[in-house]
Amino acid sequence: MNKKALQWLYSELPRLVAQGILTPDADARLRAHYGPVEPARPARLAVLIFGVLGALLIGAGILLVMAHNWEDLSRPVRAGLSFLPLVLAQGLVAWTLFNRPQSLAWREGTGALLFLMIGASIALIAQTYNISGDLPRFLLTWALLGLPLVYLLNAVVPALLYLWGITEWACHLRWEDGFAAGYWPLAALVLPLLAQWLRAGRYEVRPTLLLWALCISVTVAAGVTIERVLPGLWVMLYAGLFALLFLAGEFWCADAEGFWTRPLRHFGAAGVLVLAFMLTFEWPWKEIGWHYWYWDRFHHSGWRVIPDVVLGSLIPIAAIVLLGMTVRRKTPLGLLFGLTPILAILGYALASMTETYAPSAGLFDLYLLVAGLWLLVTGIRINKQGQMNVGLLAVTALIVARFFDTDLNFLLRGLIFIGLGVAFLVANLVMLRRKGANHEQA
Amino acid sequence: MNKRDLTLLGFAVVVAAQLAVPAWLLIEREWTLRDGQVYKFKTRPVDPADAFRGRYVWLGLEPGLIKVPDANQWHYDRKAFAVLGTDTNGFAIVERLEREAPAGQVAVRVHVGWPDLKKGEVHINWTGLDRFYMTENKAPAAEAAYREHSRRAKKNCHVTVRIRGTHAQIENLFIENKPIHEWLREHPGK
Repeated sequence: MNKKALQWLYSELPRLVAQGILTPDADARLRAHYGPVEPARPARLAVLIFGVLGALLIGAGILLVMAHNWEDLSRPVRAGLSFLPLVLAQGLVAWTLFNRPQSLAWREGTGALLFLMIGASIALIAQTYNISGDLPRFLLTWALLGLPLVYLLNAVVPALLYLWGITEWACHLRWEDGFAAGYWPLAALVLPLLAQWLRAGRYEVRPTLLLWALCISVTVAAGVTIERVLPGLWVMLYAGLFALLFLAGEFWCADAEGFWTRPLRHFGAAGVLVLAFMLTFEWPWKEIGWHYWYWDRFHHSGWRVIPDVVLGSLIPIAAIVLLGMTVRRKTPLGLLFGLTPILAILGYALASMTETYAPSAGLFDLYLLVAGLWLLVTGIRINKQGQMNVGLLAVTALIVARFFDTDLNFLLRGLIFIGLGVAFLVANLVMLRRKGANHEQA
Repeated sequence: MNKRDLTLLGFAVVVAAQLAVPAWLLIEREWTLRDGQVYKFKTRPVDPADAFRGRYVWLGLEPGLIKVPDANQWHYDRKAFAVLGTDTNGFAIVERLEREAPAGQVAVRVHVGWPDLKKGEVHINWTGLDRFYMTENKAPAAEAAYREHSRRAKKNCHVTVRIRGTHAQIENLFIENKPIHEWLREHPGK
């Protein structure tokens, strides 16, 4: 059970017992059933946050000071000094492992510092010897040398830095027309730790942070690791990816509360809605499909198409399998968001077979309208203001976008904008009033 | 062995790896600077629009164009080896371009740019020999001096590179035959 909910329950129990609603025996049995709740200690969290922030700032500061490249020192001295920040940070980590292995603040802070200093010392040596080197290789070396810290210190900040490193590596490699599919096995290297954290406490800070970072990282990587031999493959890939994230969140982390504790669900849902909005335009559907197969991209190595085949098929299929499981559970939100890969495949087939764009774009017009209205109506019905506003936003975005496609005069456009604005205000006011009324009744 | 011992052992291995990577970079470079053969390269002006690079001088080594018998066989961005010699003035020239490192000869790894099929030449990029780091307050002055002295009319700027096998390492940047730091000291207004 959620820690916050449990704290609330335990704070209510004495009153319930005093009022005779619960017997002392029931109270004891409830406490035995849910177990002790660890009190929130804001001071500890503050130490953790400021510890990590401090370490990152000191790290960045050392980097800048060293990058000043003072030339009064001889080359061997400068080279020797390049090791100094690295050795100091290693010393701090060693001290933490010996003396404060239980302190999360020390583990996270020193881990972050050492991670940065690995990059610093390589960069300083490179600067001393005028090595222009290649950036992707530097990033990969840095990330891989930092990865063990994630496991040794059982810390999330080095894991976030590692994810940043490999994502950046994949982007730069792509930019230089390299083969970036190695991102996927590299990203998988953090999964054992994530699994361990999820088992220990699904809604704790560390796994939640790592999941948010993973969501962002895989979204970027999906785009840069495919070779784009099949134009428009991204439509199905991203539809599958966002639906998969959302459904995974619905399946395995459904009982979390609050926005930030549900990264998979919220990132996936936002992704689906933004993607669906983009697909209501005609440009994504132009010149796609196997008629435009772009095999000539490869001067030499046809095997580079493998990630396209694997990612472009596996991700949508996985999402559809999860959708099938959702149908059995009968969760309407799961159905709503899980449907996108099927619609994307349908739209893709339509656009590439008929070479017309309007039907595919129209399909997503309809989808976004239905999804928006559904979120709006159910949001109102179950008193969820956030959901209602997301629905309203989706419908508004759709209406506004279609407006700019057509030649309506300014008066009509103006009136519709005013209408949409009023709808937002009224819906929110009504919702607030209803919540107020419920509160008073309670 | 308990979990703590395993963690400490793992950390020791990680520390060694983290130190080994920059250490190897350093040793390889020092080795070349000590044992490598010195070559003097003429420089050419860099694209002024692309010149501002902050803390280093953006270098362009000569020659940038190499005559080859089979220009159509060289593809963009492929690795190649420039076999070096020296001209009568003691500056480096490229005797020929090879696809593999030639045994027992001094050759620098380069990347092939666009081939010029009409003239039977290919452009080459001296990968890894294109930066000379300076302090942030000196780099702009050094870069301006470099640009001024690499112009066709002057051409009195050169770079010394140490080469060991196929490993090349920039040693110094010279303007009017003086190391850049010394030249900047003598021309404080520049």
